[in-house]
Amino acid sequence: MSMAVGSGGGQNADMNVTPLIDVLLVLIIIFMVINPPQPKGLDALVPQPPPPNAPKNNTPDRTIVVQLIDRGAGQEPGVKINQEDTTWDGLQGRLTDIFKTRAEKVMFVKGDDNVPFADVATVIDIAHAAGVDKVGLITAKIEAGG
Amino acid sequence: MAISKRNEGAKVNSNINVTPMVDVMLVLLIIFMVITPMLQNGVSVDLAQVNNPERMPDAEKEDAMVVSVMRDGTVYFRSDKIPVDQLTQKVKDRLASQQDKRVYVKADARAKFGAVVAVVDNVRSAGVDQLGLLTDQKKTGHGAPPPPPAGGQ
Repeated sequence: MSMAVGSGGGQNADMNVTPLIDVLLVLIIIFMVINPPQPKGLDALVPQPPPPNAPKNNTPDRTIVVQLIDRGAGQEPGVKINQEDTTWDGLQGRLTDIFKTRAEKVMFVKGDDNVPFADVATVIDIAHAAGVDKVGLITAKIEAGG
Repeated sequence: MAISKRNEGAKVNSNINVTPMVDVMLVLLIIFMVITPMLQNGVSVDLAQVNNPERMPDAEKEDAMVVSVMRDGTVYFRSDKIPVDQLTQKVKDRLASQQDKRVYVKADARAKFGAVVAVVDNVRSAGVDQLGLLTDQKKTGHGAPPPPPAGGQ
């Protein structure tokens, strides 16, 4: 009956909702299609303390430690391979040279507390690019033997 | 009766009533809008960008151990803020029932490495030796060594 009343004046009082539905459908499809981006990351190892009765067979002279030195806020940190100063640009080349002839591609990264994490991530990234399979993080506690 | 209805042919309204459909659509839309940001594990941080990260599909699993380090050094285990020294216990508790023994560290690019080291120390005490440092893929530049990022603020 209400319909009869509505059409009595010859005007259609219904709202045209078709464009609304179109927009909504597209929005729903967009939200369904957007997948959260796949997480990506860098592999790193943390050296565990050796079992107390393990034989001591490590050869410290062959260990490579890349060190990040804080040069104060606003300055990019310095890089050292073992005790030898290097530049950021030359780091990948040096590491590639060092690990070219090695079977065990293991490297350690150590950084000052005030170095931004992004720089450490960059070093690990460069190491992976240079062919190092295992990158270990050294902390002050690990260094002390804890 | 049916015949009498057919006789009113001139008055039949051929419009579909779309109002319930719009209702359902709106509800679906709102559900998707609410759920999408919730799908990621842990809290959201500004990740470091590197050139060749590996894919870590396990990091978005429901039970992945994600530790987030914010810019100011506060630490979140999954979505809960906790003091750094309680991390060992938390990780230890979960480790026994966990398939994936790896801990994912989601550190802000500008966080001080010292805060990350504190997390690493505590995670290590729990017996974890594999870490995944979550990073983003750098947008440009392939192959060439990345330019050194500007340190500090």
